[in-house]
Amino acid sequence: MSDQTSRAGFFRQSWLVLLLALSFGAALAAVEISFAPRIRENKRNATVSQIPELVPGAVKEASKEQSVGGALVYGAYDAEGRQVGWVVPAAGQGFADRIELLIGLDPTASTITGIYVLDQKETPGLGDYITSKERFRRYFEGQPAAAPLKVVKREVAPRSGEIRALTGATISSDAVTAIVNQRVRELGAALAQARQGSES
Amino acid sequence: MEYLAQLMLIAVAAAIINNFVLHYFVGICPFIGVSRKVDMAFGMGCAVTFVISIAAFLSWTFTYFIGRPGAPLTTFIWRQVAPGSTAVIDLSILNYIIFIFVIASSVQFVEMYLRRFFPPLFKAFGIFLPLITTNCAILFACLEIMKHVAGASDPAQIWGLDKALTLAIFGGIGFAIAITIMAGIREELDGCDVPKPLRGAGITLLVAGILAMAFMGFTGVDRGLETLILGK
Amino acid sequence: MTETGPSAYERFINGIIPENPTLRQLLGMCPTLAVTNGVKPALTMAGATAFVLICANVITSLMRKLIKPHLRILVFTLTIATFVTIADRFLQAFMPEMSKVLGPYVPLIIVNCIIISRCEICGSKQGVKVALADAVGMSLGFLVALLSISIPRELLGSGTLLGLRVLPEAWPNWGVQVLPPGAFLTLGLILAFVNWYSARRAAKV
Repeated sequence: MSDQTSRAGFFRQSWLVLLLALSFGAALAAVEISFAPRIRENKRNATVSQIPELVPGAVKEASKEQSVGGALVYGAYDAEGRQVGWVVPAAGQGFADRIELLIGLDPTASTITGIYVLDQKETPGLGDYITSKERFRRYFEGQPAAAPLKVVKREVAPRSGEIRALTGATISSDAVTAIVNQRVRELGAALAQARQGSES
Repeated sequence: MEYLAQLMLIAVAAAIINNFVLHYFVGICPFIGVSRKVDMAFGMGCAVTFVISIAAFLSWTFTYFIGRPGAPLTTFIWRQVAPGSTAVIDLSILNYIIFIFVIASSVQFVEMYLRRFFPPLFKAFGIFLPLITTNCAILFACLEIMKHVAGASDPAQIWGLDKALTLAIFGGIGFAIAITIMAGIREELDGCDVPKPLRGAGITLLVAGILAMAFMGFTGVDRGLETLILGK
Repeated sequence: MTETGPSAYERFINGIIPENPTLRQLLGMCPTLAVTNGVKPALTMAGATAFVLICANVITSLMRKLIKPHLRILVFTLTIATFVTIADRFLQAFMPEMSKVLGPYVPLIIVNCIIISRCEICGSKQGVKVALADAVGMSLGFLVALLSISIPRELLGSGTLLGLRVLPEAWPNWGVQVLPPGAFLTLGLILAFVNWYSARRAAKV
């Protein structure tokens, strides 16, 4: 069929496809323009909405995104604009897959004020105790950030530098503590370097 | 050493621990449809691995250079058109459309290759070769790559071509492993007295469930391997 | 192209049980297994698939006289991919938690065999009303299939339905139901039941 070989035949064959491509492209552009701000806001909210819970006295609207040591952190501020702490995203390998969490710290990064697990794919009913059991989060509140936290399998005193492993979720508890330790150490070093830089 | 360990972890995770069929439920249709005979199943596994590799290469290239916020090619073109503008161009909305066309083209390419160099294999496949286009596993591999390239919030975490290809190839290998095991089991089942309602898809799914349970035993192996290799 | 074929009403009824896309035609199994560990994700997925199926079928039907036969798969794929992108962005904007739970399975609607097969069998051959009825019927059928799997899975696996506690706290959660093996086992058993039931009905006739 000459239709399929001649040059004009090409357009006769494919005009519909080209027309569809253009109209669908326009539709997608419209969707992008109308939804993109909302999607960005949702992504930001996932983190920012936790800030008042993690750092006592913080106000969600006053949070400021900053870059410390090349990574994104959130400065938590109260209603008067004074910094009351930091909220730091952290991630690492858990038992099954990646664990993403937020760590709340006081302004000098010397005390941990709390953690919040953003995303985990641990075993449902066992490893996901790190999310479902409230007391696991409580273990981290008020812990000193100077030395790495240790995971033990007995009763712990609050603020003693020890975290009690969840029964049936030892590896997940280990993983969360390791992620917290590493991130806190990195942040401490980065803040110290920033302080030195501004003093010199 | 750390770099190789990273790649190896992605490979082991994709092939065995987070097996595409038994953990992520992608590629179920050929898994049930083509797993009657071991040689057919193995051939399908190889074809899918081949297609996944080509599709992953093309998808990564598109996503990295065009389909993410602040991509090099789009930024370059925009600077020519509107110099001095600091707007971040984000064409990632076109990703899905480009992926499916990349996959369709990869399947066409493999079809032509097989027809030229392996005619008996091409005939044996029949209708199943074009159906690889609708194999969720390939699109899933492209989506995972997109998640780590366009969706990475930290620029240092963006996957390069090496990690993308590792995920794709070993994901395909995992699919081949799962479908071949299933074919072996089904060949044995042919000699058994399967109750009538369960024949065909029913018994295949039940066997797949037991296989999935077995593969669940691999959870955490990558973390153990990581500790072993990197001595953490 | 002629308009012969089942009427709109026949198409609608067919899609729900007799030619149920998942339980009888064995299409679209990937989302059926992946998102059915809770009733809420299953409903969201059914809604998204319904949106894409209806739009794709109607648009294909509107264009059916203009599509060249050898380009039809290309046209179907382009249409489906566009609507899936729209559905995905919509979910990300207005239902972010569900978007996160469903994850990559929303874009996987593009390769959901149900939609392409309906466009091929009905949308490209019959009028808009019939195509619409067919799409709605198939969507309801898909919803029935997803619910038939997600209700037992969520009930036995977590003791809840739609997140609300139904079984008493003392219920020992059958953990495997929330995990991949549970999906395979539940779907296999339901398929067996459907086969057994339709064999019985055919024997009675």
